[in-house]
Amino acid sequence: MAIKKKRYALVIDSRKCINCKACVVACKAENKVPVGNFRNRINEERKGEYPKLSINFEPEQCHHCADPSCVRVCPTGASWQRKDGIVLVNYDECIGCRYCMVACPYDARYFNEEEGVVDKCTFCSHRVDKGDIPACVETCPSKVRVFGDLEDPTARIHELLSTRRYRVKEPQTGNGPQLYYLL
Amino acid sequence: MHEFNWGLLIVVYLFLGGLSAGLFFAAGLANYLTVDDKPVYAKVARMGALLAPWPVAIGSGLLILDLGNWYRFYKLFLHFRWQSPMSIGSYLLTIFTLIAFVYLFAWLKEDERKWIFSKIPATWKQVHRLNVDISSWREKIAMVGFPFSIGVGIYTGVLLGAVSARPFWNTNLVAQMFLFSALSSGSAALLLAMLLDRKNPIEKHETKFLVTLDVVFISLELFIILPYIIHGQLSSQAVKDALTLILGGPYTVVFWVFFLFLGLLVPLAIEVYELFPSIFKGHEFHGSRRMALTAAGLVLFGGFLLRYIFVYAGQVSSFHRMGMLR
Repeated sequence: MAIKKKRYALVIDSRKCINCKACVVACKAENKVPVGNFRNRINEERKGEYPKLSINFEPEQCHHCADPSCVRVCPTGASWQRKDGIVLVNYDECIGCRYCMVACPYDARYFNEEEGVVDKCTFCSHRVDKGDIPACVETCPSKVRVFGDLEDPTARIHELLSTRRYRVKEPQTGNGPQLYYLL
Repeated sequence: MHEFNWGLLIVVYLFLGGLSAGLFFAAGLANYLTVDDKPVYAKVARMGALLAPWPVAIGSGLLILDLGNWYRFYKLFLHFRWQSPMSIGSYLLTIFTLIAFVYLFAWLKEDERKWIFSKIPATWKQVHRLNVDISSWREKIAMVGFPFSIGVGIYTGVLLGAVSARPFWNTNLVAQMFLFSALSSGSAALLLAMLLDRKNPIEKHETKFLVTLDVVFISLELFIILPYIIHGQLSSQAVKDALTLILGGPYTVVFWVFFLFLGLLVPLAIEVYELFPSIFKGHEFHGSRRMALTAAGLVLFGGFLLRYIFVYAGQVSSFHRMGMLR
């Protein structure tokens, strides 16, 4: 039976992250992100003092929320969401008011000064549509990222989310983020 | 570093938009107040009508310049998205500006109107057909304009208040705060303009009217700001954290000293001091020019600072703990 409905999401096993930033570089190369802008990042959280130290790396990008506030506030409809959950910007409609950047709880968007439009992670929709996985997922050497379709019961992401404990960031904003961090 | 997506142009625009709303409201109100069927505040109404459209027109211009692609601003009017405060606001703003310009036209004197039309080529017959006296419509235009002026005043606050990602903004009190601040800035600007107009010196009853109006609006604003802080302190942790920006954080001094004290309490004190003897002791309102100038100037200064603080501090606030730390 063919699966009709799709809902893409990303599972992140941040304990495996070694902060090599290969995902950041792969994204920049794949999507030709301008100098000084990034579509994904690795948050560093340091705790304690020497010698009792710990550091936690946490990759983050657009959460492709279920109910995205950026799409809600966009005055022209340039920010939009595909049926499979991917949140995109229609560059021809974007007037560059940056309301979506202000409205994003995750600071996931950036302003492309040259084009005068807002841009963001697309989950590499051009690759996903061909059946590929996003560049950041493909390149990650420690296999932190697992990309997949939540509606597909055979997908690895489905298995991880049903067997492992996880959290999403800032669920209280009501956006329904779709980046799942394994605990 | 956390970047500010919205900067000074947005602050200036929010201030100017509110200023126009307040000017129109005060001028429209003055239009309605009569004694024995004679308008007693006709001069106030005329000055307000002449000033009202300009700040919002300039502000909208700045807003367009602030866009990444300014020439695409027309796309705002190809869509209507009821969930987006900016979309609703751009329509409100346009309609309000048009009404304010029509109202200005209704308040032009015969010779002023003729002078303007004398500058337009006589062959533009369609334009010259607009050269009609609509002064009898003043009250009607003011009545139609009231809800739009209130709408513009409130919208500047809703624009920020509707953003659920910024706990500093995300309360319904911001809309009211901005509205009352807008109305108070409007009456203060009107007072300032009338005081500075040496050709038609302001009369005492006019000063008293505008000062009274301002006292009412400042008091209302004050009783929104205090609940805003109390409410925030009793709210969820994210809102409490956001309030530390003005309670010990980088915006503390500008909020408490420059905005609340200098921009709100001092002008309120001056205006109450001016009004008090005439209301409670039966003395004549003396209407000191210097006092009124100071109070009006400070109110405008405070109104601008309120927007400044909210636009900047709001963008720093976040649910995202990393966002606050960066």
